[in-house]
Amino acid sequence: MAVTEQGLLEREKDSMTLNMGPSHPSTHGVFRIVLEMDGELVDSAEPHIGFLHTGIEKTSEAKRYVHVIPMTDRLDYLSPPGNNLAFCLPVEKLLQTEIPERAQYLRVIMCELARMASHLVWLATHALDIGAMTVFLYCWREREMILDLNEEISGVRMMTSYIRLGGVAQDATPGWLNGVQKFIDYFPAKIDEYERLLTNNPIWIDRTKDVGIMRREEAINWSMSGPILRAAGVNWDLRKQRPYSGYDNFDFEVPTGKNGDIYDRYLVRVAEMRQSREIVKQALQKIPTGPYKVDDNKISLPSRDTLKSSMEALIHHFKLVSEGISVPKGETYVPIEGPRGEVGFYIISDGSGVPSRVKLRAPSFMAIPGMCRMMEGCFIADVVGIIGSIDIVMGEVDR
Amino acid sequence: MTSDEIIEKVKSDQGENIESSEVNLGDPVLFVGPDAIHKVAEYLKNDSDLNFDYLSHITGADYLNEDREPRFEVVYELHSIDKNYSIRIRVGLTEEDPTIPTVSDLWKGALYPERELFDMFGFNITGHPNLSRLIMPEEWEGNPLRKDYPLTIEDVTFSHNREFKQDLVKSKPATR
Repeated sequence: MAVTEQGLLEREKDSMTLNMGPSHPSTHGVFRIVLEMDGELVDSAEPHIGFLHTGIEKTSEAKRYVHVIPMTDRLDYLSPPGNNLAFCLPVEKLLQTEIPERAQYLRVIMCELARMASHLVWLATHALDIGAMTVFLYCWREREMILDLNEEISGVRMMTSYIRLGGVAQDATPGWLNGVQKFIDYFPAKIDEYERLLTNNPIWIDRTKDVGIMRREEAINWSMSGPILRAAGVNWDLRKQRPYSGYDNFDFEVPTGKNGDIYDRYLVRVAEMRQSREIVKQALQKIPTGPYKVDDNKISLPSRDTLKSSMEALIHHFKLVSEGISVPKGETYVPIEGPRGEVGFYIISDGSGVPSRVKLRAPSFMAIPGMCRMMEGCFIADVVGIIGSIDIVMGEVDR
Repeated sequence: MTSDEIIEKVKSDQGENIESSEVNLGDPVLFVGPDAIHKVAEYLKNDSDLNFDYLSHITGADYLNEDREPRFEVVYELHSIDKNYSIRIRVGLTEEDPTIPTVSDLWKGALYPERELFDMFGFNITGHPNLSRLIMPEEWEGNPLRKDYPLTIEDVTFSHNREFKQDLVKSKPATR
């Protein structure tokens, strides 16, 4: 809806047009929303996106498969390992490779740590939007520990690019696994601390309960996914429904809500942090020894020491670096459960080393029309809470 | 139901609307013409044994470099929440008339991906309530995800490369 001077003069209804964003502290990025207000109440909400469009899908069509992985980090920048995995799985499906078990466990540990970190950022900023300053500082403190673990294993705090085609970038040391163990021993008491601040807090309940309601049928019809769908009472978690990377080896629950309001989304995400911790705990107990990437020189680089003695390894190394992995012709889609919901790449390969089409199914992108539907009829003050409860990341919305 | 059984069932009920079908790496895939897509989608959503009530995503593809007919394709990915099935529908669109009916009357989740198809591929989605550019600015020219849209030239008002770009769009397929 274009807001022009003429349009303002010609309006029949006595309503007010209010512009929020693109640079508004509560929109978590560059997201603009034009609200048609009837007094305190929102009549309709019109989202405007695209401010962060960087053309990642188009750029991917000119990069080799290996080079796309660092770009996937920048899509959902709060959970890079999830995006790496979402990109690697369909390519590996086209290549029809089996990933070694240790690599699968390391992938699971990284993805669950990222889920915890992402939910911590969500809780921090969501609580801050609604006015609870303290939670923000506490959550950032724990997220910092996860970022330190990221740095130790991949060298980078946020854009890890740790999950690679055919395995992971490098093996985990016993010291790192020990550090993860220390973190998950420490973490549950901290979740209790956040819950003590919020769960029974009358102000928090007043601001979130029965606000931004989206019921089961509606949530499914509007293609909501992840915690929003589960808060509406739909038991749909792709880690259970379509187990990938060995998630069927772990024993965990899928928390669901009932009312589909902001409060239920809060409860679901907090419960998910506990379940992620449970998965990491089991993974640390069961992690096997063995290779951390496939032993196939057509997919992963040969080890450094073989280069000096084996001609074949040298040729493979040269071919892989100069031409990249050639993926058989075909197209496929593998959905995974990211922190925000169903993430997946639809990949079309023309048989060369460069993908012909890379399409991201981004949960935040799919959730935006539904979010505006939730805003209709609510108070202006709740708009901020609703945006926060969706947990949008503009990097994956605009791509 | 396995992928084969899902395809068997769809074919026996909607045989005249399905062009062909396959099981691609374990996933059931249907090939449908643009005229029949709405009928097939409605059947898949409302059939009580299949109940594909969740639209995962819609995407487009441009097969210009592969030199095949038809050039474009629209891909729908559906889930059934209760039954835990998935299915993919691929619809070929010709270069002359890339028109396809909307499915946003069945799944509200289709509103944004269909606008994205219009924006990025220039497909004409008939029946869509608000078909306008979504990610690119309103005044943008061209459809960036088409293969003949150049990758490297930036269209900025004060840029010196405007004329260069116009030549490129006419003459050259996308650079690699």
